[in-house]
Amino acid sequence: MAAAPKEVIQPDFRAIDRGVLRAMEPAGRAYWIWVASCFTLVAIAAGFWLRQIYEGLGVTGLRQPVNWAVYITNFVFWVGIAHSGTLISAILFLFRTRWRTAVYRAAETMTIFAVATAGLFPLIHLGRVWFFYWLLPYPNERSLQPDFRSPLVWDAFAVSTYLTVSSLFWTMGLIPDVANAREAATGWRKKFYTIVAMGWQGTDRQWRHFSMVYLLMAGLATPLVISVHSVVSWDFAMAQLPGWHSTIFAPYFVAGAIFSGVAMVITLLVPMRKLLKLEELLTPWHFDNLAKVILLTSLIVSYSYATETFMTWYAGDPIEQMTFQMRYFGPWGWMFWMMVLCNCLIPLLLFSPRIRVNLRALWVISIFVNIGMWLERFVIIAGSLKVNTIPSQWGPYVPSITEIMITVGSFAWFLGLFSLFAKFMPIVSMTEMKEGIVWLRAALKRGYSTGA
Amino acid sequence: MNTVTIIGSFSGEGECARAVRAVRTARIDDFHTFSPFPSHKIAAAIELPKSPSRWVALVGGIAGILTGLAVTIGTTYEWRLNAGGKPLVSWPPFIVITFELMILLGGISGFLAFLFMSGVPAFESASGYNSHFGEDRFGLVVRCTKEDADGVESMLKTAGAEEVVRGV
Repeated sequence: MAAAPKEVIQPDFRAIDRGVLRAMEPAGRAYWIWVASCFTLVAIAAGFWLRQIYEGLGVTGLRQPVNWAVYITNFVFWVGIAHSGTLISAILFLFRTRWRTAVYRAAETMTIFAVATAGLFPLIHLGRVWFFYWLLPYPNERSLQPDFRSPLVWDAFAVSTYLTVSSLFWTMGLIPDVANAREAATGWRKKFYTIVAMGWQGTDRQWRHFSMVYLLMAGLATPLVISVHSVVSWDFAMAQLPGWHSTIFAPYFVAGAIFSGVAMVITLLVPMRKLLKLEELLTPWHFDNLAKVILLTSLIVSYSYATETFMTWYAGDPIEQMTFQMRYFGPWGWMFWMMVLCNCLIPLLLFSPRIRVNLRALWVISIFVNIGMWLERFVIIAGSLKVNTIPSQWGPYVPSITEIMITVGSFAWFLGLFSLFAKFMPIVSMTEMKEGIVWLRAALKRGYSTGA
Repeated sequence: MNTVTIIGSFSGEGECARAVRAVRTARIDDFHTFSPFPSHKIAAAIELPKSPSRWVALVGGIAGILTGLAVTIGTTYEWRLNAGGKPLVSWPPFIVITFELMILLGGISGFLAFLFMSGVPAFESASGYNSHFGEDRFGLVVRCTKEDADGVESMLKTAGAEEVVRGV
């Protein structure tokens, strides 16, 4: 990786604190209009959901054979978005990657809110949502437990573990930074930060246990994140449906998750950097490294598409071949080719170092990737169900206004929560920025490359 | 009491670590430090042993494994349902539940160990705390006898303290 440029190690500790705390200053009217708009959309979506609970799933476009479509696509999409946060906060922490320090808090926050959004969709997709606890290890009146061989039960365990452990990891990292914010705040904010910081003062005793548990949490979160999207992929791969039943799904889905998640990090960070005036802390060097992660995962995803196609041809199963023929050239073929354009071709532009540091171009590319990855999940989930094993079983699917509005509401919910956090909590980790800069300066002094 | 508190403020972790070493060489053990980030130099100077919180996380993780196996295998025996002629305890799918519970209980117990061992939530301020210690300064707070106070002050200054103040 390229060495860190001089401006990355320029800010002194006070400048870091000043930059992060300035972003937390009281917001203007435009901010509140934006947040209010987001939550208005959430309220509208909640209204549609209430109607669906009252009327039943008939208000959606879900019909035999397409029983899983937009809702489950949204679930997989949002779980995928969450993954890059853990990649940046935990996996890159274990690799001691220094560029992560400026972006990890935003990425991890995105993880928490994305999992919280994803977790809603299996509930929304339930016709009788009040029976959601049937997925939990809770016996019914005949002492019959859920079937622990079912990937849907695995999923309930995986996603709830992911949300819990990520939240704890995120909270731990926040404590020292909120303590910093507490010192600078006044009024109700001071009281609020005092409660959240829980009396943190950064003594050697506190740091000793902090460092150990932070490392352990990163070590636990790393296999967890790989397992969660593997389990999500097994929701499909364990079924005997052509287009779903594939051993490549776990690594393919994990790479896709990181790909879409890093794209979402860029989608959020580029405007946030400008609006919260974080230019000094979030430099083009950080975006350059994020873009490289997108490029790498894009190549893995493209390779997976090719392998899937090759295996279908090589296996010689006519039903499977028909499913893929319909995927590429059927009525929904345009979605597949749009997905190829967004996920395989457009990211190739990131081979250019100039484009990687051109934030506008990077932002546009990241939005294409988001669209492409949503389409990928839709093509796999609904597309494979639509073209079932016998042509007489084939059926149409058109999403209803309920599904569309709930999807729009989920984006509004995610963006509203993220916007609230970005304004009221430290969106860049001051603690890790300081630690990272001390390391980079020492490395430069020793004459080492600081690219790691 | 015949003791005083001496608070040294340093601009870098290296100076603070040097002061810690000097204080320890003088066989004074009643001290603590403040830093804006976890400093390995200071931890090495204090020669802090590894945090025992890792054992708590290990126990939590093992408890998670046992819970996962107990829940999946136990409930299978509770209601003997033959699914597709497979063995009653068809364990490979149970690994997923067991693995997730290992991570869940390991993570929760590690987090609780962190809170408990580091004294968080703390309702009282550690002596000598100054808000700059969270920002850009490293602090060393030494509690010593009045007779040793002058010696400690000069040790901190020699190590590179920007400011040394005496408390009660």
